[in-house]
Amino acid sequence: MMTKDQYIESLRALKLNLYMFGEKVEDPVDDPIIRPSLNSFAATYELAEDPQYEDLMTATSHISGKKINRFTHMHQSTDDLIKKVKMQRLLGQKTAACFQRCVGMDAMNAVFSSTYEIDEACGTKYHENFVKFLTRVQDEDLAVDGAMTDVKGDRSLAPSKQADPDLFLHVVERTADGVYVTGAKAHQTGFVNSHEVLVMPTISMREGDEDYAISFAIPTDSEGITLIYGRQSCDTRKTEQYNDIDVGNKVYGGHEVLVIFDHVFVPNDRIFLNGEVQFAGMIVERFAGYHRQSYGGCKVGVGDVLIGATALAGDMAGSSKASHVKDKLIEMTHLNETLYCCGIACSSQGTKTKAGNYLIDLLLANVCKQNVTRFPYEIARLAQDLAGGLMVTQPSEADYRNPALKPYIEKYLKGVASVPTEDRMRVLRLIENMTMGTAAVGYLPESMHGAGSPQAQRIMIARQSNLEMKKELAKKIARIQ
Amino acid sequence: MLRCAVKFCGGCNPRYDRGAAYAAVRDALSGVATFSYPETGVRYDVLLIIRGCTGCPYLYEEIDASHRIILTAAAELPAAIATIEQLADPSAIPCLCRTRL
Repeated sequence: MMTKDQYIESLRALKLNLYMFGEKVEDPVDDPIIRPSLNSFAATYELAEDPQYEDLMTATSHISGKKINRFTHMHQSTDDLIKKVKMQRLLGQKTAACFQRCVGMDAMNAVFSSTYEIDEACGTKYHENFVKFLTRVQDEDLAVDGAMTDVKGDRSLAPSKQADPDLFLHVVERTADGVYVTGAKAHQTGFVNSHEVLVMPTISMREGDEDYAISFAIPTDSEGITLIYGRQSCDTRKTEQYNDIDVGNKVYGGHEVLVIFDHVFVPNDRIFLNGEVQFAGMIVERFAGYHRQSYGGCKVGVGDVLIGATALAGDMAGSSKASHVKDKLIEMTHLNETLYCCGIACSSQGTKTKAGNYLIDLLLANVCKQNVTRFPYEIARLAQDLAGGLMVTQPSEADYRNPALKPYIEKYLKGVASVPTEDRMRVLRLIENMTMGTAAVGYLPESMHGAGSPQAQRIMIARQSNLEMKKELAKKIARIQ
Repeated sequence: MLRCAVKFCGGCNPRYDRGAAYAAVRDALSGVATFSYPETGVRYDVLLIIRGCTGCPYLYEEIDASHRIILTAAAELPAAIATIEQLADPSAIPCLCRTRL
């Protein structure tokens, strides 16, 4: 496995074609806007080195028998699925941000089982291709971005019916050695911190969409790939002279980028789906299922930090003994642990695929994610309720560092006398960061839309709900023939 | 000297500081037992499993040890230390009144 330092050094070797605020980024690793997201990703390597966390952070490869980072593991049991959720909660607790590596893990597990079944039905060699790729990922402990979401253009039209054919990523040229693809993938979490990108189709497809039914993996710095960094609310606070208190979370963060593929070459042995439209939906459904499970871990860990910050704000203001404060903290905990229950439940009910890795219970995973589209918002609302208005009206760190203003701020922002004013400012900025600053991107809208927007889960819940069986149950009790 | 291995649970939601607990055990038993992380093929007198809560079921059967001592809360620390002392010297009278995190 790679150490944290080896991982960071390995990123320096990438030649990413990355733009941010209209300019090319020559050194993403040390860029102050990007670095917190790298630190979060690096935590997935750092914790795997620590004996206190290795039981969750590492696994044994079913291919090599070697100890590997769990983020590169194919789940071999329901126990593995449960440990995955626990690992994600742990990392959420440690970073209070999106640590980005889940999407690649979920994509790899989905493509692993799907390629096996595609080969079985179509006589292709995609699984062999994928296992070769996976073996390298495990052996070299690579970071993989899972790329599913196309920009999609007119949502009422199929990929091949769009006015602009590039609105879904597709094959534009075929040669004896491979294919060339053009298109774009949106909302790509962690791409800048990844060595490889694993591309998958974004929706179920029909006859006529063959060029769009494409899955493959290539290096993130492949020729023809351009990245445009997504900006986040309050992001430029990281570049200010005083950039400690006001950022809320100085060390960790997350990122998304728009990834443009402009006639990018994919060699044959890196292709995992190529025109078999009937299997696009299988990859989508399995990836979405795994990723909806993931949110029952990572968001819970971030929620743990937000609950802790809110409780601290109460302690510092002297309000922690008020009954409504206690009750709201209980409510936040109840909501957070309910999400965890769903993550554990869909894992414990997982089943073995034909390829041998384990798939979560899809109904429970979709219920998990449906709750995630709601509960973090309520947890954040309660955090803002208890934090009070000072969270968004307190002076800047620059004011606090001004000798003429600091005595006033120290005096008038003081809560409990024994608590330093600066500590109170810090915890309030952390709550701001998580509920409306840079980390809110990961904790709120990502909870809403990541791994699919709420309606996508409702469609899956409807499909899996076994309504006819429920009707029969009712008929029997009501003595209806 | 007893040869002890220590194995931590993954630490997803610990109720106490597991690292501090391990440090306390080592301090209390210096001169009585040696501690290390488990290695394949090595037999240990004691495997100390430090769980962050009561929800972790693993006994790590793959680790070869004559005795398994499980810690799930800081309050159990004195008893765990006393048990290891007893294993090191069965004639010793266990003392449960010391070592708090």
